[in-house]
Order: sequence, then C-alpha cells, then structure tokens
Amino acid sequence: MSALGHYLEEEGIATVAISLIRPQTENAKPPRALWVPFELGRPFGPPNDPAFQKRVILAALRLLEREIGPVVIEDFPDDDPRAQPDPAWRPPQVPMATADGTAETPAARLEAEIPMLQGAHDRWLAQHGRTTVGLSAMPIVDCGRYVADWVRGKAPSSPREGFSAVLILRFAVDDLKAYYLEAAAAGSGKPSSRQLGDWFWNETAAGAAIVALRAIGLASADERLKAVLGNFMVPAARVAMMS
Amino acid sequence: MTRLTSLLPAQAQRLAELECPDFTTRPWVTGPALAQRRVTIVSSAGLVVRGENPFRGRDPDYRAIPSDTKPDELLISHISINFDRTGFQEDRNVVFPLDRLNELAADGVIGSVARTHYSFMGATDPVEMELHARELAGRLKQDQVDAVILSPV
Repeated sequence: MSALGHYLEEEGIATVAISLIRPQTENAKPPRALWVPFELGRPFGPPNDPAFQKRVILAALRLLEREIGPVVIEDFPDDDPRAQPDPAWRPPQVPMATADGTAETPAARLEAEIPMLQGAHDRWLAQHGRTTVGLSAMPIVDCGRYVADWVRGKAPSSPREGFSAVLILRFAVDDLKAYYLEAAAAGSGKPSSRQLGDWFWNETAAGAAIVALRAIGLASADERLKAVLGNFMVPAARVAMMS
Repeated sequence: MTRLTSLLPAQAQRLAELECPDFTTRPWVTGPALAQRRVTIVSSAGLVVRGENPFRGRDPDYRAIPSDTKPDELLISHISINFDRTGFQEDRNVVFPLDRLNELAADGVIGSVARTHYSFMGATDPVEMELHARELAGRLKQDQVDAVILSPV
C-alpha cells in the first residue's frame, strides 16, 4: 500500500494511506499515513457505524492538508467497538449430520450441512440486501459438492475456462466461508470476528472439511497443491490454535 | 485490534518486516483545501465487481470499480485468508468507504468523489505493480482526481 502511494505521488497525485501495521508503515515511509488500531481486514473500523467510519476517513483525509512532510504518520486514537464479543449472540444450529449414519465422512457431512444454513442465510439476505458469496460463480450447493469432491480425493476438473481447478477450489472455499459466516451473523446479534471464527472452525462440518483439505495438501507431492492448500485454506491463527 | 501483540508472533514479525522497495525519492504533492479536492479510493483488498474475473493469485494489475457499483456487486478476491472479512460482509464501507465519501461530498467537506475507484491485490510484489500504478495515475488525472485514499486489508 505504501509503495502504491509512492508511485502515485511520484506521478503527481497526493495520497494518504490507512496503516494497519505501524512498523511496516514506518519502514516503508509513505508520504502520509493514518495508523488505525483495528484488526486486519477492517481499515475503517466497525461495520454499520457510519459516524465512527467517517471520523476515521476524515482523520486520514485531513493529513492531505498538512504543509510539512514527508513523512507524516499519525495514530487514530479509538479502538473498534465491534471488536468486543457479543455475549447475547447465538450461532445457527448445525447438528452434526451423523445421527442416522448416512453422513459420516467430512465430505458427506459438509454436503448435508449446507442446506441447514439456508434459512439463516435467507435471513441475512433479507436483512442486508447483499451477499459477498460469488467468487467461484457456482451456486452454494455446487461449491459444497466441488469442495467435498476434493476432500474425497477426486480432484475434480475446473468448471471455468481460464481458471485452474486449484484456483476454483480456493474460490469455492472462500464462498463457503462467506456463506456460513453471513448465515451465522444473521439476526440482531453483533458477533465479533473471533466469535464467528470460533463457531465456523470448531463447530461446523465445513470448517472440518477445510481443515481436511489442508491436511491433504500438506501430504501431497504436488508442490503447488501443497502451497495452495497449506497456506490458503485455514488461517494461520487457527492452525496455531489447533496444534 | 491490529496491535502486533494481537497477532501470532511469526505473523507479526513477517508483517512488520515485509519487504518494501528501497525508494531513493520522497515525493510530496500538495494541493488545495479538502473542500476543493476530488477523492478516489485505491484499495489493496483484491476487490472485483461481481461478474468480472477475480484476481488470480498475485496478479499485479488493478480492477476498476465505478462509483455506481451496488453493494451487492462488490467481492473480495484477495489471496490471503489471514484477515477478517466479516466486517466487509456486513458493510462494504469497512474496506471501501464509498458511502462515507459521498456523504462528505454532500456535506461539502470534500469537493467531489471520483467517477471510478480501483483495487489492486495487496499480496503482490510492489515492484510488479509499479507500471500499473503509474498507468493508473494517468487515468486519475483524466478524472481530475487530486486526492487518493489508500485502503489496505
């Protein structure tokens, strides 16, 4: 981000960067940056808090009016109020689909579980009017089947020209995560990202299937598969918690 | 919070020491007061408009995001899974504060909002982005943009 600012500024356009990692910004020395104490992925702070977000963006834009620089790095003073857990939040129920003995493998459990989330995801759509599912361009049930086939060791071919099967797998996994986490956040609760992540990775068959994918990748002799499944399935922080 | 103490030690160290080109110049462009500026967002979240090709791994180019893009049309295709996406899922302004910019323009705090915004994929080597970034600067000038807010994830 700092390098982009440098290139644009060299071309004559003033820039101000939001900084999430202060030492990185100090090292890169962009013309202007506002460090914010928010988690990675939330450069403007809490969702659905326009007043807070506006304070962040305005604090950043005001740095454009500074007369002395470079380098200007300022700190935003307030933490993200949504980083706190919501004790009243309840995730959707996803009973492990093993009771009747028909869905005992991680792949089968995943495929059985997805329809259980549909009601919650419909509520999310009604509430927010949008979804961030869509990278794979497959319906969510097909995403589930594609991921499940990989977990079964079938290595399905890519359904989309110009995109490798492994890339489609990554997009399908991203879509599954988005679908589940949107479904889990439907309703009046304000769960933190940590609460949502704990539910997804500890309680769902989808989380278990993605962990299984990572293990398949790490055991593979195919270096590309090993790199993609090893690094782009389970977040590093979750891997650390599981080990 | 992205205080380094809230990250895994290895991740914190990697992010803090992430390599950045060793620039020999320190450019500094001044301009008019904020109320006269035309502002665009340049994100590194790997944002794409639904229906367009997502970023493939570490593509060095950028995608254009028109100002009239609907909230339902914006997707994140960043390669990294080590940042929160649930904030963006609930409200795109967490990453892409277009609604806030429009409000600031309506209130006269900034001059105007650019016609088009842009996204790179932030895990790409900055050196590979350079040509694309310099080409983007030409586009921004055509749109009379004189202020860029750089938004990472």
